[in-house]
Amino acid sequence: MTQSAQNKKPVIHLQNVSKRFGANTVVDDVTLTVGEGEVAAIIGPSGAGKSTLLRCINLLERPDSGCITVCDTLVNAGEQIGAKELALLRRNAGMVFQSFNLFPHLTVLRNVSLAQERVLGRGRKEADEVSATLLDRVGLADKADEYPNRCSGGQQQRIAIARALALEPKVMLFDEPTSALDPELGLEVLAVMKELAVEGMTMVVVTHEMQFARDVGDHLIVMAEGAILEEGPPEEIFSAPRHGRTRQFLSAVLER
Amino acid sequence: MHMFLTIFAGVPTTLLITVASLALGMLGGIPLVLGRRSRFRALRMVSRFLIETLRGIPPLVWLFLIFFGFGSSMTWMTALMASIFGLGLISCAYMAEIYRGGLSAISAGQWEAAEALGMNHRSVLSKVIGPQVFRVSIPAAATYGIGLLKDSSVAFTIGVTDILFRATAQSYQTRDALTPFLIAGLVYIIITIPSAWGSRWLDARLKNRVAR
Repeated sequence: MTQSAQNKKPVIHLQNVSKRFGANTVVDDVTLTVGEGEVAAIIGPSGAGKSTLLRCINLLERPDSGCITVCDTLVNAGEQIGAKELALLRRNAGMVFQSFNLFPHLTVLRNVSLAQERVLGRGRKEADEVSATLLDRVGLADKADEYPNRCSGGQQQRIAIARALALEPKVMLFDEPTSALDPELGLEVLAVMKELAVEGMTMVVVTHEMQFARDVGDHLIVMAEGAILEEGPPEEIFSAPRHGRTRQFLSAVLER
Repeated sequence: MHMFLTIFAGVPTTLLITVASLALGMLGGIPLVLGRRSRFRALRMVSRFLIETLRGIPPLVWLFLIFFGFGSSMTWMTALMASIFGLGLISCAYMAEIYRGGLSAISAGQWEAAEALGMNHRSVLSKVIGPQVFRVSIPAAATYGIGLLKDSSVAFTIGVTDILFRATAQSYQTRDALTPFLIAGLVYIIITIPSAWGSRWLDARLKNRVAR
């Protein structure tokens, strides 16, 4: 646990979480705490289990063992997960995917509105108003009536962020949000994420953007082979990695 | 010309059978495909059995079963109702299989995105997955519908006054075994070709709007 996480109220807590696919242990006994307002960046070589760990937080992957707490919702992997708990946990955790996953049959505005109506029970008019405000916030007010496939990748990812924010989550999970984008388009997504971080949103970001992890993140988590190699303030780890595997990974991504 | 008009007068009946049984199939196919993909093994088996049975028995046999078999104790059932019901049942099975194909064309990311937003299964199906499945099912459903339009001619065997029934009657009356059936063929073509155009137009329009 890092210094900053100890001082702040924990928003996410994972206790001994493991996930296996067949004989393959993808997440191996991970314990992790993310405090309120913290921006946690998870880095590491591909196949390290970063995305799977992130997807365990909102239970898109059901862990085989361990406990997961998001805000005040506790889920134990050993027990049957109730629909109510699941809904509550997911309401507090917004997620942004590498491949955006916008709903192609709905306009941009309706993409952002749908879950508000279905999950929060807002009326259509109220939901659309909130959506318009959020689209404005990510700089896409003029795209409201377009269909997602008419938008660039960077725009689609910003719409996906607005869609997740529409449920007023307490924490945002980002699964390689810029990996499917050209470097330039990735920048506009990173700018929106940076703004969110500045506003105090708790974020967990699986990323290969080292610059972002270093500048915006305040909690760096290095994973390899399903386990956390080391974690702490990004500056410390970037300048003096304790672990040989971390050093090897960092030199591979930074010195190219 | 008189013969053409007489046969052509069967078009509304043929269209009614086709559209009504296709509509039944589009509705009835939904519970069948949901059952086919259910978490529960028993439900999957039942749905699969139903689909195979409905498809495995020829339409003509279904019509005889319903109209002469069960229909004998249900005197209110007309030949038209029996043919709509029979072809509608078969359509349920075919539409379920078409939907199943459509479902597998929807990426896992769509389910995940909707679930991550906290939507319940019912909302995910009705608002996110369902509309996309309908959309991708249009070409296959249209092809099936045009096939159904032609297959609806089996209804003449139980006395429904559709295109073929009228053509047969004309052939008896005029002792001409060729012309009435040539006309019947022509009338079927007059309806099927615009239907194919229409479905292609609809598909292109939707594709244009929601480029996949």
